[in-house]
Amino acid sequence: MSPATQGALVLLVTLIVLLSGAPVAFGLGAISIAFVVLFQGFDALHVVAETFYAGLNDFTLVSIPMFVMMGAAIGSSPAGKDLYEALDRWLYRLPGGLVISNLGACALFAALTGSSPACCAAIGKMGIPEMRSRGYPDDIATGSICAGGTLGILIPPSITFILYGIATETSIGRLFLAGVVPGAMLTALFMLWTLFIIWKRGFRVHAADFRYTWKEKFGSIPKVAPFLAIVIGVMYVLYGGIATPSEAAGVGAALCVVMAMVIYRMWRPRQWWKILRDTTRESVMILMIIAAAVLFGYMLTSLYLTQTLAQGIADMHVNRWVLMAMINLFLLVCGFFIPPAAIILMTAPILYPIIKAAGFDPVWFGVILTINMEIGLIHPPVGLNIYIVSAIAPDVPVARIMWGTIPYVLCMMLQIVLLCIFPEIATWLPDHLMGAVH
Amino acid sequence: MAAHRRSIDAFIRSVRRLSTLCGFVAAALIGAGVVVVCEMVFVRYALNRNTIWQTDFVTYCLVAATFIGSPFVLLTRGHVNVDVLPHYAGPLSRRWLALFASVLTIAFCVVIAVLTFMFWKEAWDNKWVSDTMWRARLWIPYASMPIGLGLLTLQSIADLMALLTGREAPFGITVERVP
Repeated sequence: MSPATQGALVLLVTLIVLLSGAPVAFGLGAISIAFVVLFQGFDALHVVAETFYAGLNDFTLVSIPMFVMMGAAIGSSPAGKDLYEALDRWLYRLPGGLVISNLGACALFAALTGSSPACCAAIGKMGIPEMRSRGYPDDIATGSICAGGTLGILIPPSITFILYGIATETSIGRLFLAGVVPGAMLTALFMLWTLFIIWKRGFRVHAADFRYTWKEKFGSIPKVAPFLAIVIGVMYVLYGGIATPSEAAGVGAALCVVMAMVIYRMWRPRQWWKILRDTTRESVMILMIIAAAVLFGYMLTSLYLTQTLAQGIADMHVNRWVLMAMINLFLLVCGFFIPPAAIILMTAPILYPIIKAAGFDPVWFGVILTINMEIGLIHPPVGLNIYIVSAIAPDVPVARIMWGTIPYVLCMMLQIVLLCIFPEIATWLPDHLMGAVH
Repeated sequence: MAAHRRSIDAFIRSVRRLSTLCGFVAAALIGAGVVVVCEMVFVRYALNRNTIWQTDFVTYCLVAATFIGSPFVLLTRGHVNVDVLPHYAGPLSRRWLALFASVLTIAFCVVIAVLTFMFWKEAWDNKWVSDTMWRARLWIPYASMPIGLGLLTLQSIADLMALLTGREAPFGITVERVP
């Protein structure tokens, strides 16, 4: 059987298995073992256990549970509520101030937790009822929170970037920095669109007829500031090359847990268990996919499928931007069905040589890939954030929430186009702070 | 019949307790990892001394947490899946999909548990040690694989039994999604 036929068979079986609803990690593992045995015989099984173990035996991976714990400690505390209140109290008198508060809180909370669902749930719980009570249309109230939640995987520290960095051996610090400006731009695009649509619908001033006192305005800041300081500290240590991502994240996680205990008095064993349970669930899920994806990658490489695909694309001699458009389309479609972690781990090793051969910057591509993943988070049929927001506002029909997210999907596509025209949006900051890579 | 039912209940309950225990162990391993990373940072940057065992220890903790925590994550439906078809399929198709997914999971778990056990046995028989300064005996971290994946097999069998006997709805979906 030719590698092309083998590749088509692997693709078909992978699609069937993943769409059946089997856990991604076990599905990928089963496919890998089945094809290794099918094409290489039972003798090839002796490397399976070693490859499965080797996929996890890497100190860089330690940063994943550490960053997840940082997010879990902050996400389990009322920090999201305080952050939202702090912004709202400062911005409530501005026209559209509530939108800026909501999306700003999403962006900041994203930086704190690195998790889109956590961000959506934490800010949405306060933001959506508040916006609806002040007369915002349901599609704007829910759509903006869905979109704001996606910023969690673009604004550093982001698990998505860590996974991409590990899968492609790209600098995680550089990737984090590359996400800063596009993340801020995307937040601004979301805000601009929301303000525009509010203005267009004749909803200009929504300031309440009361004023917050200075005491109230400053009330929430001392609670949130330490968490922001920790995250900024972790970033500084990382970018300064003072410590490795795993060390920085480990200390950051410990500090966030201690801060949650001190500031929010989270002393009870039940509260501790919630942080540890959330950390364990998310970390184990991601790490098992990593182990299975390494096995999957081994199967693809040993059957020469990756090399055949890369060669086939090179032989097509298509324009590099046509190639980029095709890759974006492919990622977009994957994002509609498959969770971001699985897509990155499955596709990054395949796409990386293609991207490099076409002369694209892998760090820049990491940002493009992440925005594609963000679209998948708010786009049907999977659209995880849509269902999180639906749980927060059960009386808003899911279809209305989905319609509310469409303009934000277009904002993200615009951001991808802008990044293609001006790659410096992503590359300027890492090049400026860490030096250019030649 | 009632005795048969009770024995199935007892099996599922016991496996769930075991998986919950696995969750506690995995959480403790991750917690230990965080503590040791902090200690390592302190020793390396504050005391300016070399670290020997910490990097290996933390990595082994995380590997062990992954395998041993896996049954707990399966129990709490934490292993992500692509649930588009199951959500939109009818009850009968959904049941067949759940059976397929469950059997596939068990098949993978059994095969990988056996393979990792053989790998562990090789490390034990040949007294393998790590190629780092610590020279750790590798059968210890490797043991987490057959243990965790063996328990994962048990949990996936318990899930299949719960599905076949109607104790659990396919994919945990009990109500039809309203689009």
